[in-house]
Amino acid sequence: MTEAKSVTETKKTEDQGILKGLEQLTPEKIESVIQQVLSDETGARLKVYVETCVHCGMCSKGCHFFLSLNDPRYSPAGKVKQTLWEIMRKKGKVSPEFIKQAATIAYTQCNMCKRCAMYCPFGLDVAYVMSVMRRICHKLGVVPLYIQDTAHSHSVTMNQMWVKDDEWIDTLMWQEEEAQDAMENLRIPLDKEGADIFYSVIGPEPKFRAQLIFQAAVIMNAAGENWTMPSMPGWDNSDMCMFTGDYEMMERLKRRHFESALNLRAKRIVMGECGHAFRSVYDVGNRALGWRMPPIEVVHAIEYYNELFENNKIKIKKKFEQPVTLHDPCNISRGRGLHEMARNIVNATCENFIEMTPNREHNYCCSAGGGVINCGPPFKNARVESGKQKAKQLFAAKAKGAEVVIAPCHNCHGGLEDIIHHYGVEMELKFFGDIIYEILELPE
Amino acid sequence: MHDYYSFFTGPFAWITFLVFIFGSGWRFYSIWQLAKKKDSAVFEYMNMKFALRSIAHWIIPFGSRSMQINPAMTVVTFMFHISLFITPLFVFGHVVLWKENFNISWFTLSNTVADLMTLIVIGSCLFFLWRRIKLADVRYLTTPMDFIILFIVAAPFVTGFWVYHQFPGFAVMTIIHIISGEIMLMAIPFTKLFHMFLFPFTRGYIGSEFGGVRMAKDW
Amino acid sequence: MKKIIHNIIILTSIFVTGIGLILMSAGIVYADDCFNINNESIDKNTNTRPFICFEHDIHNETAGIENCSECHHIYDEHEELVPDESSEGQPCSECHADSKNSNNTDIGLAAKYHKLCRDCHLSREKGPVVCGECHRK
Ligand code: HEM
Ligand code: SF4
Ligand code: SF4
Ligand code: SF4
Repeated sequence: MTEAKSVTETKKTEDQGILKGLEQLTPEKIESVIQQVLSDETGARLKVYVETCVHCGMCSKGCHFFLSLNDPRYSPAGKVKQTLWEIMRKKGKVSPEFIKQAATIAYTQCNMCKRCAMYCPFGLDVAYVMSVMRRICHKLGVVPLYIQDTAHSHSVTMNQMWVKDDEWIDTLMWQEEEAQDAMENLRIPLDKEGADIFYSVIGPEPKFRAQLIFQAAVIMNAAGENWTMPSMPGWDNSDMCMFTGDYEMMERLKRRHFESALNLRAKRIVMGECGHAFRSVYDVGNRALGWRMPPIEVVHAIEYYNELFENNKIKIKKKFEQPVTLHDPCNISRGRGLHEMARNIVNATCENFIEMTPNREHNYCCSAGGGVINCGPPFKNARVESGKQKAKQLFAAKAKGAEVVIAPCHNCHGGLEDIIHHYGVEMELKFFGDIIYEILELPE
Repeated sequence: MHDYYSFFTGPFAWITFLVFIFGSGWRFYSIWQLAKKKDSAVFEYMNMKFALRSIAHWIIPFGSRSMQINPAMTVVTFMFHISLFITPLFVFGHVVLWKENFNISWFTLSNTVADLMTLIVIGSCLFFLWRRIKLADVRYLTTPMDFIILFIVAAPFVTGFWVYHQFPGFAVMTIIHIISGEIMLMAIPFTKLFHMFLFPFTRGYIGSEFGGVRMAKDW
Repeated sequence: MKKIIHNIIILTSIFVTGIGLILMSAGIVYADDCFNINNESIDKNTNTRPFICFEHDIHNETAGIENCSECHHIYDEHEELVPDESSEGQPCSECHADSKNSNNTDIGLAAKYHKLCRDCHLSREKGPVVCGECHRK
């Protein structure tokens, strides 16, 4: 029942960003933009992905949208059919109505999680095809309102959340003060040159989850790290422009972030528990800037925490007692193979660990990734519906006794929170940082 | 009768081979050129070790989770692909023709085995057809061309079976068999059947991305 | 080319409507003029297919073959056909033994045999050419 409902709801969704963009479109403009993107910005990869597909449907079971909604339009190849197949077949001669539907699919019905590439016998990368569709939509100016707003924020402030420069410093100082209650001489060193660690976070942290900065500061200080954070733009490693298709802006953002670290001659960048930001720094943004691999080592929080435990740099009072399960965020498990390290941390910090299945590279996305959650309220219901498979997976872990879900990714938190609430899963959500902070034994 | 036989085993067979070889060569060349011009990153991230690792997992039956959760498809598709590839190359009736025309020959299948493999191909095509019609997600992806290709693929095997068992009209059917085989060969470069050649590259590339950059399995 | 396409269409319709005709033509057997192949060197191969009765005299009469060497040919060392000599009574394998050492002896001989018959049938546009016309089940 809910399935049928969700489908119609998605169709009815009227996003002001998309609608306003459509008003300015003519068939000629659509055609010329598409031609330009197809001939200048894509090549053999797109052609081969679209032409090699044998229409076998093996990818369907790879996509949580299809698994949740059981509607063929949501299978990975089904989404390609509704977007690039048609566009390439008609050589760009498609209607504004088509673009409206294609934009809805590309921005809100694919999390770019690349799970399907692991289920297609040919390894066809539907997320890449969707990114081409988003690029076209971006160039046509047909982008969902809320995510476009974050992209605008990026271009004005170099951070995702319209955080002003003084606000940023204020927040850091405020968190420093708070943290000094826990650790007397704690510092958040700003713009320190030659530090071992340049710590960067995502825009929403100072805005909504400032306690994470506080926790990170405590952990860094407890571990006795030589670390720093930048006082100026470049502190935000997140990147919604990567997801809207605004690659020029993505390049500016990534350049600023890398340069902030390099100017301070930091040894490496450690970033907070975020999946998409890691992807933008480690995989996508560096490439766009012409670096095969990031110009400076980037380390995700999981890898960093794992190091802390392996080198005994921090001590814990006692293990976290509630039974936990672990959600492997796509961007750092399928995207960087950090899932084993995540398990090391769980084992070092928690008494009782219950795997959810499937797990590791095969874990289901939370349905929020790829910028989908950032498309905001107009698409929230549809997004939560497509998290049905995730809800089932959570219920199964809960049935085995898990009470807490560890999700080391901001997006995942947002997505899982909505799923847990909507389906009544009643599990608690935590970052690794939350758990480590809770059980950390502070040095005298 | 004789002039068709001469034509379809003579000039037309040569045309077929030329179309197949040059058609495939041209496809490869144009993809290669385009990739060099537009997707230089692909070459940058291609990694032999990880490509082969991925390919190996995907050509071993049940080597990937995808195959494990689709057991029927996996069994059928492996039997199908193996039979499809082996039968025409090693059936006695074909090898003897190579001997006659080019004086080269190789191992041959026993008639019974060849017969069985032919039935496997035909049965598999029926299975694929059933899937295409029955499973909603596959049906949604299906184009008329998919049915045509299934027909093109099944035809040489149906006619071959007919001819071998000398069902009524087998003499004429032999000619149709020859033509259907030629159509299939000529279709390879210009249809999705070209997947047989592109598989190592698409799989190899995603394997390289997963192995080399994402440090994760892709199976 | 046009003729061929035209005829393909005709042929296909003949096939659909007149399968029976071909069946009938297969039934005619001249029992007392059967010629058997001495297939000693061939029968190792499990794939050999049964050979129909070859009616030597009728074949030659119908085909108007008077010179035995048309089939029972002899070549000299320069691989030139020797015009007035013939080789009846000699097994094919005696000369066509190029492949004796290889493990494809049988297939080599079969190939020669096939070519001898079929090439002639094709050039005269008469007589069986496809497998099953000679190898009857
Ligand atoms: C090892 C790499 C290959 C993989 C992973 C692969 C995979 C597939 C898949 C998934 C199908 C879909 C069947 C369907 O639902 O229609 C298929 C069909 C087919 N493949 Fe392959 N294939 C491979 C190699 C080959 C080769 C080497 C050949 C040729 C000898 C070939 C010939 C065919 C044919 C004729 C079909 C049926 C066409 C159809 O169903 O539309 N494939 N293959
Ligand atoms: S990338 Fe993820 S969300 Fe998108 S089609 Fe593939 S499996 Fe589905
Ligand atoms: S599994 Fe791959 S080849 Fe099959 S339909 Fe999906 S994308 Fe196409
Ligand atoms: S939000 Fe989390 S689960 Fe969803 S795509 Fe990102 S990393 Fe994957």
